Amino acid sequence: MIDFDYVRAADVDGAIRAAAQPASRYVAGGTTLIDLMKLDVERPAHVVDLNPLVRRDPALGAVTDMPNGGLRLGALARMSDVAWEPRVRERYPLVSESLLLAASGQVRNMATIGGNVLQRTRCPYFRDSATPCNKREPGSGCSAIAGINRVHAILGTSDRCIAAHPSDLAVALAALDPIVHVRGESGERTIAFTALHVVPAMHPERETVLRPGDLITAIDLPALPWARRSTYLKVRDRASFAFALASAAVALDVEGSTIRNARVALGGVGTKPWRSREAERALVGRRVTEATFRAAADAALAGARPHTDNAFKINLAKRTLVRALASVAV
Amino acid sequence: MRSLLHPVGPGDQAPDFALGDGGTGPARRLSDFRGSPVVLAFHPPHWDPARGEHVETYNRLIGSLPGLAGTRLLSIGDAGPWRKLTFADDAIALPVLTDDSGDVAALYGVEGSAAVFAIDADGIVRWRHSGAPESSPHPVDVARAITAVARPLIAGDDASRPEWTRREFVATALAAAFALAVLPRSAARAAPTPIADERLRPGRRRATSRVTLHVNGRDLALDLEPRVTLLDALREYAGLTGTKKGCDHGQCGACTVHVDGRRVLSCLTFALMQEGAQITTIEGIGSAEQLHPMQQAFIAHDGFQCGYCTPGQIMSAVAVTKEPWGAGDDDVREAMSGNICRCGAYPGIVAAVQTVRRSGGVQR
Repeated sequence: MIDFDYVRAADVDGAIRAAAQPASRYVAGGTTLIDLMKLDVERPAHVVDLNPLVRRDPALGAVTDMPNGGLRLGALARMSDVAWEPRVRERYPLVSESLLLAASGQVRNMATIGGNVLQRTRCPYFRDSATPCNKREPGSGCSAIAGINRVHAILGTSDRCIAAHPSDLAVALAALDPIVHVRGESGERTIAFTALHVVPAMHPERETVLRPGDLITAIDLPALPWARRSTYLKVRDRASFAFALASAAVALDVEGSTIRNARVALGGVGTKPWRSREAERALVGRRVTEATFRAAADAALAGARPHTDNAFKINLAKRTLVRALASVAV
Repeated sequence: MRSLLHPVGPGDQAPDFALGDGGTGPARRLSDFRGSPVVLAFHPPHWDPARGEHVETYNRLIGSLPGLAGTRLLSIGDAGPWRKLTFADDAIALPVLTDDSGDVAALYGVEGSAAVFAIDADGIVRWRHSGAPESSPHPVDVARAITAVARPLIAGDDASRPEWTRREFVATALAAAFALAVLPRSAARAAPTPIADERLRPGRRRATSRVTLHVNGRDLALDLEPRVTLLDALREYAGLTGTKKGCDHGQCGACTVHVDGRRVLSCLTFALMQEGAQITTIEGIGSAEQLHPMQQAFIAHDGFQCGYCTPGQIMSAVAVTKEPWGAGDDDVREAMSGNICRCGAYPGIVAAVQTVRRSGGVQR
């Protein structure tokens, strides 16, 4: 691991100033950053520790009610605390489930909400500094496109990068589209969650619209009473502690046997957390039938572009979505 | 009876005495330990020779002695009057007698002083240091004294003196090394020297930061580079090797410890990030004499084969009993999925966790 300077943030402004230096990284849980530093994939010169901020402002690490009925997730809240939080489990089952199906109990006790949505891809070539990777080393080439690409993305890819976004929580959040609060050198602003991540296109090294030094401080889940009828379904190579091959976050607003409103997002298949408004349009106004769900799944995967080893993900993602919709429709 | 005006010194027969074992165990006499070198330490009550931070000091002294190249002390265990000294390639138990009453100090003529006596296997005082509570011997003098005591081993050709085994030599060296750590000023004056082999740290050495880790109820003051993980700090700097390094990437769970009561991966957090936190390792939940109920359950249910993942499994399992999981075996499998067992002892692990959960016996 390379040398770096370690800075304890005294307050949010101090953290942002410290991280404004080139080659700076925030650390909170450390579960992505330290892993990648050991692999020489992340090579920060300055590491700014955000953990002291919670002692100064407990709301940064808490779940708090908002006047409109929504919930504010502090960016430094730990995955496990949010997952087990009764208000989250009751109002947003898909969020709680996405967290509990992610990583391991130990990792969930460490990793934070803000860090989770910014975690880096698990593409094996990105993690192997001996191979070319446009995301790790812009312009060096993509090893996955002509390599072993069974776990890679089929939606939102480019000829520069097909790395899948690894977060489960981010898929649930893409379905809810909460407001992300960001503080940076130029002050505070908000970003719609679905606008936070970008597809790789020509610049796989760019994964979000955040600028250097920007700090996510909170994510506001919108008041959405019908999100109580929601779920997150994850399909993977083993029963637990594995990243998704395909996953679906769904919420349905059903009246009688008619779908009034729907939220659909997919994981394991996209280069970013993949909200599918195509699937939602195929659901709204239709009757709750398996045919409706299949039509929605076809719409969601219509733009999929498989590579050598991952064509199976098209069917897998469709079936995952159909099963998720069926489980909340009854 | 020895006069108080004539303090005990090198060459004297060490006066025999009886001490209680911390007020609870049977009385022990110095002569009970004949055949083994003994350290007799008179030190302030707050000083504990078994603290991990002293390991650096001991290793510095050992490294300065002829004949001990490559000998490296890893940890100091504490079991009544015995200190178990674990080396990279050996382990010895060294009796360390402490005098709470002051009676023995009077017998040795060092009342009101900090003092250390190194007594050889025949009961002869070979080296002593005494002085005001703020005084301490110079490391060079200690090294000279030890070398003199141990000459038969080094020369190897003096048949007129009793042969010293390497173990006795190391034990006696440690006796003197204890003296260096008796007084806080001694440790503070010394340049910080990580235990880890310098050859493993090529290139420029970074400046270190002093960090105090609260581990198993003790404060450990360590001088660490920022890139030292909590796992490496525990194992390589504090000598607490119960916590295991498996994958070192958060995928196997062997390094699981508790931070503020929650299970975390010590390989994925920097030690500097844990200042002020309460850290518990496998060494802190039970002892060989009094196992934690989860340790007992792992034994009862064959919850391990090779044992390498076991400290992490047990630390994880203890935490799981306090997390809001359901009651089924499947819940245990899901909750414990971050701890990999290459031997495949999973059925025994599940049974052990369920036994403890059903008995509610995790209140310690």
